Amino acid sequence: MLWRMIKGALLRQWSKMLLIALTIALGASLATSMINVMLDVGDKVNEELKAYGANIVVKPRASSLLSEIYDVEDEGAELQQAWLQENELKKLKTIFWAFNIRDFAPFVTVSAEVNGTQVPVVGTWFHHHLSLPTGEELDTGVRNLRSWWDAADEDWIDEQREGADREIMVGTTLAETLGIRKGDTVKLTGRSAEITATVRGVFDSGDSADEQIWAPLDLAQALAGLEGDGTENGKVSSIEVSAITTPDNDLARRAARNPNALSKADYDTWYCTAYVSAVCYQITEVITDSVATAVRQVAESEGEILDKTQLLMILITALSLVGAALGISNLVTASVMERSQEIGLLKAIGAHDKAITAVVMAEILITALAGMVIGYFAGLGFAQFIGKQVFGSAIDIKPVVIPVVAALISLVTVAGSLPAIRMILRLDPATVLHGSKA
Amino acid sequence: MNKRKMFLRMITASLLRRRSRMLIALLSIAIGATILAGLVTVYVDVPRQMAAQFRSYGANMILMPAEGSCLTEVEAEAAKQLIPESQLIGAAPYRYVYLNMVKQQQTFAAAGTDFDQIQRTSPYFKVEGRYPSGAREVLVGKAVADLVGVKENSKMTLTWFPPSAEETGEMPADFEIRPGMVLSGQADGFGMSDEGSSKQPVYVLLTIGDDGTIASLTVDTSGESEGYGRLCSEEDYTAQFIGRDIRELELGENVDALTGATRTSEAVVKAIRNAVPVEEGKAPLIPNTITFTVTGILETGGEEEDKVYMSLADMAAITGQADVLDLMELSVSDTQENLERRAAEITASGHAAARLVKRVTKSETAVLGKLQALVFLVTAVVLVLTMVSVSTTMMAVVAERRREIGLRKALGASDGAIRTEFLGEGLFLGALGGLLGAGLGFVFAQVVSVNVFGSDIQFNFWLLPVTVLVSMAVAALSCLLPVRRAVAIDPALVLKGE
Repeated sequence: MLWRMIKGALLRQWSKMLLIALTIALGASLATSMINVMLDVGDKVNEELKAYGANIVVKPRASSLLSEIYDVEDEGAELQQAWLQENELKKLKTIFWAFNIRDFAPFVTVSAEVNGTQVPVVGTWFHHHLSLPTGEELDTGVRNLRSWWDAADEDWIDEQREGADREIMVGTTLAETLGIRKGDTVKLTGRSAEITATVRGVFDSGDSADEQIWAPLDLAQALAGLEGDGTENGKVSSIEVSAITTPDNDLARRAARNPNALSKADYDTWYCTAYVSAVCYQITEVITDSVATAVRQVAESEGEILDKTQLLMILITALSLVGAALGISNLVTASVMERSQEIGLLKAIGAHDKAITAVVMAEILITALAGMVIGYFAGLGFAQFIGKQVFGSAIDIKPVVIPVVAALISLVTVAGSLPAIRMILRLDPATVLHGSKA
Repeated sequence: MNKRKMFLRMITASLLRRRSRMLIALLSIAIGATILAGLVTVYVDVPRQMAAQFRSYGANMILMPAEGSCLTEVEAEAAKQLIPESQLIGAAPYRYVYLNMVKQQQTFAAAGTDFDQIQRTSPYFKVEGRYPSGAREVLVGKAVADLVGVKENSKMTLTWFPPSAEETGEMPADFEIRPGMVLSGQADGFGMSDEGSSKQPVYVLLTIGDDGTIASLTVDTSGESEGYGRLCSEEDYTAQFIGRDIRELELGENVDALTGATRTSEAVVKAIRNAVPVEEGKAPLIPNTITFTVTGILETGGEEEDKVYMSLADMAAITGQADVLDLMELSVSDTQENLERRAAEITASGHAAARLVKRVTKSETAVLGKLQALVFLVTAVVLVLTMVSVSTTMMAVVAERRREIGLRKALGASDGAIRTEFLGEGLFLGALGGLLGAGLGFVFAQVVSVNVFGSDIQFNFWLLPVTVLVSMAVAALSCLLPVRRAVAIDPALVLKGE
């Protein structure tokens, strides 16, 4: 009998029920999309902030201060006695947070004579292909670490292209001074080799790189005799790493001072969270005789902006959730009150309060469930729309959203209908049917 | 009772009698209006607030000396004035020189700057200790501190060596020797070739007496060998120069060389003959040593760690030259196009050459654009969903009154009159709910602004009428639809409830 009544109500009053289902679907889709976007916004914005370049710099432990203070002159390469090994770069992808390491590139700055002038030559990876011992393949280099450079696509060196090992990129200021243009052939005379290279492109970086020549790592190493024996055995003076990190908190700051002073539990928490200090520590563990430091200009600001964006999204989400909740419970209350005559009639013909409540609640909850299911998928659609439009990538769908949305919708539906049903039941059926009150 | 009075009475009566239902409708509109006013206020103000946050990446514009001149504090100040004060977060002047720690035989780049401004332009600087606030205080980069082993509160003795004649390009010019004149000069000495690092010339500082000869002489041979060349600065040796004409000195002829330090003696004579008058207001070209107190250690993870920072006044004291800057870093809160325009204006003004820090400006434009798009889309989605939800609630509330409509129609009310009445009710609710919601929305926006950005929000007062109008429109539209349907049906059917 109960089911018949419910079915009857649902079928007969389908237009009213549709309205309820629609509102609940709207609320559910709002909640679903906002919570999903909110949970993923940190990762997405973090990706975007990678535009600022590397947030970790790895240097040899005993590097000398002098090479950085004096602009590297002809003895520049000799001043620095400590080096990092090029073949160890692969190990960066073996640390605990390897997945968070987006890009990295080695650097070596040597000096060479071009047209009678000594110029700094920076050797690095542009778009280097790496095959990891784990079987993973990846491309990495400064292409993504120098996103602010003004250089056309075809001006970038790509090591995977034929003949790229004899190509260089020249900073705009230097190109002007030396009268070099794109496509020119330049003779570089280094300490231990003389190399003729083609200018692939001229770039405008807006910083000191404008006065440098950038070349593939092997070329720069060969100029100064740092290539070592065999392939990828050369020496590098620093490594820039761009990693996705979690904004620092108190624990991370304490750990950065001295990780060994932490308690075991704290140490584990710290080590297994992608704090920039933890990532630095893990890099130091795998690269022999190295010091990895966070570039505060990037790391600190990143944390600041991430925190703000997340908080902003949380507050906006909270407002829309409150709005959705009030909207749903409002409508449910309205729809219950609209049926006061029906409820009065049921009571007048002898139905128990409990039975009436059960019937009305069941109707509404079934409608809510239908609305919720539709709303959830519509919400995923909205979330993906936002993700694609803003970040050009899909929003990660978190299953945890389903119980949250379900609980929220059920709660506001019950909270919106139960008091209204109670109120109507308390009234005298005659009054209700007469329609003079409520 | 005229028609209008009756109309008003019907609206107010319906609102008063059907309190709970009207409350639901009002609440629903108010929620919609709150979300509209709140989110739009946040959306409009977010770019400004976020842009201010992005200034934590540091300076985005750099002033350098204009073509063919040098950057003085006056010129930098004049250039700075071209940027509206409200957009200027900070402007830190920098002057770089190399300073030595003679004992440790180390040379570092030192920067003279303004510490108040540095904290604004480079908020990512981390100082163990505190920033210098008084005279003779320095902030030391971590790499320098580790190298020479200084800590907070240690003393640090720094020496400035004047640039050599080849570097400055100032060869001794023809000048008239007058009584009371102060002269300074330098010449390459024997050096400390065995130890190699702090090879420094020999410096002299002398005054001319009333008779046009040397009245006093100070010789700085700190770069020479201990026990040999350095003896040339002792009075035993320098006494012989007093009362001599600087243009007639000739080693071996009228001046004695010090045994075991012939090369240094030669250098002293050469330095005196090379000496030039010290210009008014400038320090003589002899080494200057000042002992500083380290107030803090600077950590940045960047090349700033290789430097020593002091106030511009201290920099002027140690180099004897004030009012010179190498560059000024500006942190300006503005869009990239505006920054480019300002930079061009400054360069055109001739006070300084301005250029943008591409790394900061380009990345900021990219990231800020995304954030703005994010808030825009989120606002749009939330608004559309909320407005639809508001109108469904309104529709439900109005649909409930089908019987009433039928009854009125049966009693002879015209369709138009019924529509007008409901429309009036809807507009009234919309206005009230809109006002309420706008107030609540502004409160929400302020809460967001204070919590997220720690500053007050800028209210857009045009948003108040917009919110009220939109609320009224949504309320009226969602009233009209069900009323139209109810009016269209035969009253008998409506009253029967079919």
